[in-house]
Amino acid sequence: MLPSIMENSTDDYRIQSFDQDTQMLLKTALKDPSSVNLEKVSNIIVDQSLKDQVFSKEAGRICYTIVQAEAKQSNGNVFRRNLLNRLQQEFKDREETRGRSLQEWVCFVTFICNIFDYLKVNNTPMVALVHPVYDCLMRLAQPDALMNEEEVDCLVLQLHRIGEQLEKVNNQRMDELFFLLRDGFLLQEGLGSMARLLLLEILEFRAGGWMLSSTAHKYYYSEISD
Amino acid sequence: MSDWTRDRQRDASSSEPDRRNIGPSRWSHCRKRGIDGSLRTSEADGGDLKGVGQTGSRHLDSRHASFTTPEGTGPVSRCGRQADWGSQVEDDEMRRDVHRDMQRYRRRILGAEVTQRERKTSSGSSGSCDSREGENMETDEAVLLRRQKQINYGKNTLAYDRYIKEVPKHMRQPGIHPKTPNKFRKYSRRSWDQQIKLWKVKLHAWDPPREDGKDKALDNIEELDLNDVMDIELDFPTLTDSQSAPASLTTHSFLVEDEECLGTPVKVQKTEEPTAEPDMA
Repeated sequence: MLPSIMENSTDDYRIQSFDQDTQMLLKTALKDPSSVNLEKVSNIIVDQSLKDQVFSKEAGRICYTIVQAEAKQSNGNVFRRNLLNRLQQEFKDREETRGRSLQEWVCFVTFICNIFDYLKVNNTPMVALVHPVYDCLMRLAQPDALMNEEEVDCLVLQLHRIGEQLEKVNNQRMDELFFLLRDGFLLQEGLGSMARLLLLEILEFRAGGWMLSSTAHKYYYSEISD
Repeated sequence: MSDWTRDRQRDASSSEPDRRNIGPSRWSHCRKRGIDGSLRTSEADGGDLKGVGQTGSRHLDSRHASFTTPEGTGPVSRCGRQADWGSQVEDDEMRRDVHRDMQRYRRRILGAEVTQRERKTSSGSSGSCDSREGENMETDEAVLLRRQKQINYGKNTLAYDRYIKEVPKHMRQPGIHPKTPNKFRKYSRRSWDQQIKLWKVKLHAWDPPREDGKDKALDNIEELDLNDVMDIELDFPTLTDSQSAPASLTTHSFLVEDEECLGTPVKVQKTEEPTAEPDMA
């Protein structure tokens, strides 16, 4: 079966998994950002994202809300600045992270993609993140990563979510990425059938203009819908 | 619909608010923000505004086409401001804002031209916003960004907040109240810098009251050097005859004069308490 990804998104930004104090801190950050240490808040969010796969998928939302709140309240961007710089640090250490813990690495990629998706500058993606996001996805498309279902899973999820936007800002790198994906699908030995299925679907997905035709959709999803 | 795409459908109107005040501060006491204290620069990589769909990018040139695990940015430090993502995004944001402002300004000029044509009776002596404005517009991105940054520093103050709260726009009088210099007019670098200085000096009138008068003098000396004292005096004569012309213009003419006598005679000014109001005479 294909992995089912999201639970219902709720308005509470999934902060129940934090301890009481942290929940309070985050709630305050959402309501009255200038009264809290926003650097600390950004670190808490990144730390949790690297641990918690569910949180990493939706953390962009809470970040977006805090960024908006801070901008509205004081025209500031302390939170965003700290968030991005911390993210940059994690990006720099990504190969180490991957070597240490696949799960953390996958969480990181999920998180950075989610931030790319949610935080915009004048409604357009943040240029500074385009190459880093591509670098992460390219890494997931390397032969050794394709052998891990976790990573393939993460890769295709990200492409489903932000592939279209990414291609719009830089289609050349998307082409490069898809060369790798085709190669992986066609040539890589020892690739599991699940990984092949995921790759085939994403190839079709992009070829169809970032959507699946109804027949393709039926092919990939009819089993799990019933 | 696939599970993947289900929550991609987000509120598309996730627009960032108009944020012109970007920038931490050097002067802590009356600044609103800037815990890390770094001053960001964006002039160095001026030039290219990214458009959607463009393949080019300012990172691309230093990169291999194939996957090479490009680290590119090097260590994140205060010195490597260009490299850190926070600053990159802020610079990017400012660049976009400046371009958006430029479009607005162009539209406004067009509007002004139309109304001027309609009532031709005015002999055009005001000279401030006639049709040559469009041709005289500053469009150099590097210049505009530099100017915007200076304006942002001025606006990123408690004094500015207090000013715009206490004096509503329609109450502001040219020559008396600070008026943000117009970044789209062509000015020499020096003239522009003087205008900014004048503006900031005037804004200081709205500095929040402070408990300890001690370091007030110190701070003021730091910011108000002798040039500023001179500027105040230069600025005041405009009071009498400037009801129609914007302050920036009038001061400009003074500054041009100032520019011509390059010997910086300003320095001769006396060193009295900088906060003292100069005579109106």
